[in-house]
Amino acid sequence: MSLFVRRQLPIVLVFVAAVLVMADYFLKIPGTGPVVKDLQNWGIILTAFSLGFGAVNLFYLHTRHISRRTPGQWPFSTWLLLMIVVFTIVGVTMGPTGPQYSWLYNSSYFALSATVYSSLGFYMTTGCYRALRARNAEAALLLVVGAIALLRNAPAVAVGVPIIIPMEAWLSAIPTTSAQRGIMIGASLGAIALGVRTMIGRETGFLGRLTEAERRG
Amino acid sequence: MLVAGRIFALGMLIALWVFIIGCMEMAKKKLPSFRKLAGLDALPEMVGRAAEMNRPVHYTTGLGELTGTVAPQLVAGLAVLGYVSELAAKYGVKIVYSVYQAQVMPLATEIMREAYIRAGKPDAFNAEDQIRYLSGEQFAYATAVQGFAERERPAANIMIGPFYAESMMFSETFFRIGSIQLAGTARGYQIPFFAVICDYLLIGEEIYAAGAYLSKDPVQCGSIQGQDLGKLIAWILMFVGVLATVAGSSIINDLLKA
Amino acid sequence: MSKQGTGFWGKLEDVPREILYAILLIVFIIPMLKPVGFPVPISDAVKKWHATIDALPAGSAIMIDFGYSGGGEPELGPMAVAVYHHIFRKGGLKSITMSTSLEGPLLWDKVIAEVNPAKYGAKYGVDYIHIGYISGTETAMAAVGKDLRATTNTDYKGASLDQYPIMQGIKDASSFKLLICYTTGGDQSEGWVRQWYTPYKTPYLLSVIAMMVPTMLPYQKAGQIVSLTSGAQAGEMELLLGVPARGIKSADVITLTHLLVFAFVVMGNIAYYGRKASERARGG
Repeated sequence: MSLFVRRQLPIVLVFVAAVLVMADYFLKIPGTGPVVKDLQNWGIILTAFSLGFGAVNLFYLHTRHISRRTPGQWPFSTWLLLMIVVFTIVGVTMGPTGPQYSWLYNSSYFALSATVYSSLGFYMTTGCYRALRARNAEAALLLVVGAIALLRNAPAVAVGVPIIIPMEAWLSAIPTTSAQRGIMIGASLGAIALGVRTMIGRETGFLGRLTEAERRG
Repeated sequence: MLVAGRIFALGMLIALWVFIIGCMEMAKKKLPSFRKLAGLDALPEMVGRAAEMNRPVHYTTGLGELTGTVAPQLVAGLAVLGYVSELAAKYGVKIVYSVYQAQVMPLATEIMREAYIRAGKPDAFNAEDQIRYLSGEQFAYATAVQGFAERERPAANIMIGPFYAESMMFSETFFRIGSIQLAGTARGYQIPFFAVICDYLLIGEEIYAAGAYLSKDPVQCGSIQGQDLGKLIAWILMFVGVLATVAGSSIINDLLKA
Repeated sequence: MSKQGTGFWGKLEDVPREILYAILLIVFIIPMLKPVGFPVPISDAVKKWHATIDALPAGSAIMIDFGYSGGGEPELGPMAVAVYHHIFRKGGLKSITMSTSLEGPLLWDKVIAEVNPAKYGAKYGVDYIHIGYISGTETAMAAVGKDLRATTNTDYKGASLDQYPIMQGIKDASSFKLLICYTTGGDQSEGWVRQWYTPYKTPYLLSVIAMMVPTMLPYQKAGQIVSLTSGAQAGEMELLLGVPARGIKSADVITLTHLLVFAFVVMGNIAYYGRKASERARGG
């Protein structure tokens, strides 16, 4: 495939699409509304396709593990592919919102997902126990703030020790919010910078496999 | 022609473009300097530790897609991956990159291959073993990484990119097996978890600076400098806005809402 | 077993995680089996949420995003159930739900089954509907806000939206008086601010998992979110509405586990200073 198709054309398309979307947001130009609406709907369709692409990738990778009998891996790969097939057949034949699919989902994926998510509580407990130690001034500050937040979020303590509510509210509203705003401003500027670099072709990561020379253009 | 309520935002956006593109051009002549970032300076020490212990280095760029809103963070993580891969190649340490999104694999393969070539060890790179696509589902990915940690017990764990709930799981697990850890994310939700557990931390836009800091690439360095100018504008607006509000004037408020 | 420190203070400072987890597990289970009935205060955020829905005029349409995954269901599900009780009990409101999370429709089914809208006389397609999972997160939000019917023309079961009375007059974001989002993902919670609040000024109620609250606070303080709650406050909402369920049951667990973690932190600090004192004493 020529370098124009692999590099220049995608950059031109990105530039045009970005300018159209921004123009629609900031300016009142007749005609851009329907075009941007179509672009957004195409984006939704492409994202939906990428889900299917993910499934194809899984098949490709795991069938390789099975065919090579990768030690410690291939039985799990077999199980994974079997479950993908079962979910797909049930979803397609009986509908993804039918009781059979719901049962499959609730008894396997949902239960596992909720369990793993819940394990975070245990990790946070050991994290707090180890980290909230007043080793120095900053750590002591972290300890005090952490303790206030912990106690405020225990409903019965908030009732029994009402002073903790305005203390935690002040900590949330003033230092925490200010710090978060700073981080958000920085992150947003980073996103804008990446957008600019992508639009002018200086950021070529999304173009996939290019050599160093091709990337430099 | 202009939509009311968005005029100031458009003006700021154009100004930022000018700053960023201008700084990228200026950086080609003279690279801007960066303040020290302890986490990044510790990378050779971390990889060296892995070499001494004869254990691998684990690298992850977290969740997120190249086409999503957290793409800048993912790109930042990939920028550091190249540097760490080159270090690992030089020290003879195996580096394993756990992949969440399949789209990233060709990119990561190219980045790591070129890093090994720069280190003069192209034959040492084994894409199949060192770049592992684990899963596109959050907790399946998280548990797979934890499994890798328990089995292969890497000496160093580097996490730079967009992280979600799995950040705590990773940090605790790698802490427990004795890995030295560097983490960086611009997702505010997860910074506290990394802060209390990891040895080194990059907060917010430090991860964007990381690629520039390590690679000294004029495009990235100039881009960071342009962002810093944007932050300066934000700081000036905040400072003037506070003074104006205290003095009873809403001029800055009105300007921002224009 | 994990490695432990030596000496009394050393051991106390470095209690094996297995013991900590075991104690935590016991403290989790006991109040679930035998609720204690600790008092639960109703926060301003929950009161504001309640008042916002109460103030909606009859016939108002509410857009609800079920943007959480199975992992977040134990925390956000009870909040969603309580809010649906409120909406159906008030009556006269149209709740149109979409999902920016793949699992959203399945989780919505669970919530609706728990609410049982029929007992309020609410009917699917008349008072409530689910228009399905729409991929793309922010792109989906923007597209739905611009033109809902161009983005999707079927409900989550694939039936045409034209047949449902609830969808009459629903065109885009301007058709909605309120936006509610339940999510475990920052992309959704922040995305709705950018794609609906900023261009259309739609009032926005957000319920997230507890660890996301500090990061969403700047939006709430700036007025972009009317009320920000965590799923852990579902018990408060249930108490306010008089519909005790999973949320209020979890409140006892939350109180006891938070107190336990606090106790662990205090113990760790006492042990730390105890060890330092004994080392100084030994050192002379």
